[in-house]
Amino acid sequence: MATVQVSEAEKVYILHGIRDDLRVDGRGCEDYRHMEIETDVVSNTDGSAKVTLGHTAVLVGIKAEIGKPRPLVPNEGYLEFFVDCSANATPEFEGRGGEELGTELSNTLYKVFNNKHSVDLKSLCICPGEHCWVLYVDVLLLQCDGNLYDAISVAIKAALFNTKIPRVHISTDEEGGKEIELSDDPYDCMRLNVENVPCIVTLCKVGHRHVVDATLQEKACSVASLIISVTHKGTVTCTRKVGGGSLDPESIFEMTEAGKRVGKALHAPLMKVLQQEEHLGKKKQKVGFLG
Amino acid sequence: MPTDTKRLRGPEVSQSPSLFLCRPPAVLPSQGPRADGRQRDQVDVRPVFVRCGLVSQAKGSAYIEAGNTKLMCCVYGPRETERKDETDMKCGRLTTDMRFAPFSCPERGSWIQGSQDKDFSLMLHESLQPAICLHKYPRSQIEVNVMVLENSGSVLAHAITCASLALADAGIEMYDLVLGCSVRQDGASCVVDPSYEEESNCSSGSSENQGGLTVAFLPSLNQISGLQSDGEMTEEILTAGVRTCIEGCYKLYPVIQQALAKAVRKAAPPPSES
Repeated sequence: MATVQVSEAEKVYILHGIRDDLRVDGRGCEDYRHMEIETDVVSNTDGSAKVTLGHTAVLVGIKAEIGKPRPLVPNEGYLEFFVDCSANATPEFEGRGGEELGTELSNTLYKVFNNKHSVDLKSLCICPGEHCWVLYVDVLLLQCDGNLYDAISVAIKAALFNTKIPRVHISTDEEGGKEIELSDDPYDCMRLNVENVPCIVTLCKVGHRHVVDATLQEKACSVASLIISVTHKGTVTCTRKVGGGSLDPESIFEMTEAGKRVGKALHAPLMKVLQQEEHLGKKKQKVGFLG
Repeated sequence: MPTDTKRLRGPEVSQSPSLFLCRPPAVLPSQGPRADGRQRDQVDVRPVFVRCGLVSQAKGSAYIEAGNTKLMCCVYGPRETERKDETDMKCGRLTTDMRFAPFSCPERGSWIQGSQDKDFSLMLHESLQPAICLHKYPRSQIEVNVMVLENSGSVLAHAITCASLALADAGIEMYDLVLGCSVRQDGASCVVDPSYEEESNCSSGSSENQGGLTVAFLPSLNQISGLQSDGEMTEEILTAGVRTCIEGCYKLYPVIQQALAKAVRKAAPPPSES
C-alpha cells in the first residue's frame, strides 16, 4: 500500500489521540470519513459506480458477457474480479509496482464473494452447461488515501445495484442448435438483488485501540489490521489479517465484534441512498469526475 | 491457415475424467464420525510426521506429513539482497513462495503460478514476518520456498508450521515458532484439520455457517500472526473457531519442539563422557 513517512513525534501524537478516542481530523475511532457515491458514471458498461471516501477515489465498471459455465457448477454464472492500481493513484504504482497490491485486492474480493448467498449465481444461468452470464467486475483506483478495501466494497455493491443485464431468449433452430437472441428493447433488462452483498470493514490496530477507516498516517502507526466483510444480517463472509505484525487473540475478538457492528450499520443507509438515487431517474444531477 | 488434413486432432483443452462420472460424488454427511475416524467438534488433529534437515543444499529444510498432506520447505539465507532500497538498510527482507506440484491436487494444476498460489504465498509471508527477528539481518534477504507434494486438506496451516521449522533449522533468529491450524465449519459442527474432501464439501443441508478458517499462532507469546477465513459464518462461530485453532496449535507444539531438538542433536551430537 502507498505509505507516507511519519516521524516518531507524529506517531506518538496520533497514538495518544487515539487512546483518548480523538483522531487527527476530529473523528471518533469508529467513524467513517465523508463518503460520496455516484452510479452510472460510465455509459459503456452494464453497471458502474464511483466512490470517494475522503481522498480515496475508486471507480468500478461491470460488464456482463456470455460465456461457458464452470465445469463443476453447470447451472451457475460467475463473477471475475480485477483490480488495477494505476500510476494515477501514486507514483509507486508505476509500471509493475501496483501489480502486487492489485492481486492482493482481487484475491480478497474472490474470497469475499465465495459463498452461496452474496450474489444469486443461479439467476446468471442462461442455458445449463452451455451458456451463462459472466460478470467482469473491474476496479480502478483513482486516488489512494488509505482504506482501499472499504471503498472498493461499497463501490462494488453500488455498481452491482446499478447493473442492468439484458434479457436473452434461447431459441432452437432447424438443426437443433441453440441460438441466443438479445431483446430489442434496451430497457428490458434483469437487475441483481444486492441485499446480501457484503461490505468490507478494515480495522487498524493502533496502540491498544482499533480504528475504522484509517488514513495513511494512521496506517503508518499501526502494526497490523484486520479486514472483515459483513453482510446486512451480520454474517461474516471473509476475515483476513494484513500487515507485518501480530495480534493478541483478545484484540482479534474485540475487533471482529466491532467490525461486525460497524459493517452491519453501513448497509441500511447505503441501500437507502442507492434507492433514492435510482428514484431520481432522469432528474439526477450528474456530478461526474470534477465535482 | 492451412489445415492439416492427414491428422485427426483431439480437442485442444484436456479435462479430468472425474467430470464425466455417472454418479456425482456423495456429499459427506455433516453428522456422525468423519471419514477417517476422527471426531467432530473436538480438537482432533491428524498425527504429524516432521523431519528437519532433508535437503543438503539448503541452509535449512523441513518436511511435514499429516495424513496424506505432504509438503516440504527450504530456507535459503541470509543472503545479500539484489535490490537495495532504504528499508533494507535497517532490517532484512523475507521472501516467501508457495507452489503446488501439478499432481498434488485431484485436478491437475499448472506450473505457472495462479492467483491462488500468490495468495497463499502472501498469507505465508504475513504469518511468518512477525516471528522473525528481521532487524538482526540488515541488508539481507531470507528466502522461504514451500513445495506442496500432495494436497489432502489444510495445506496452508501445515505450510506455516513447516516453514517455521525450516527457518529454525536454518538457524534464523526467531521470537517463537509459528504453528498453523485450520478448521472447517459445516452447519452446526466444526471439523479440525479438514481433509481435501471435507474442505471442498458443500453440504446441501444447512446453508448457514459454511466456511473455513486458518490461524497462524505463536504459542509462547500467545499472539496470532495470521488469520484467514472465507465462506459465511456468524461472528460467534468465527470466534469459537479461532479458539479451537489455538487449542489445536497448542496440541501440535510439543511434537514440533521434539522434532527440532532431535535434528539439532543429530547435527551436533553432545560431547560424549570420556
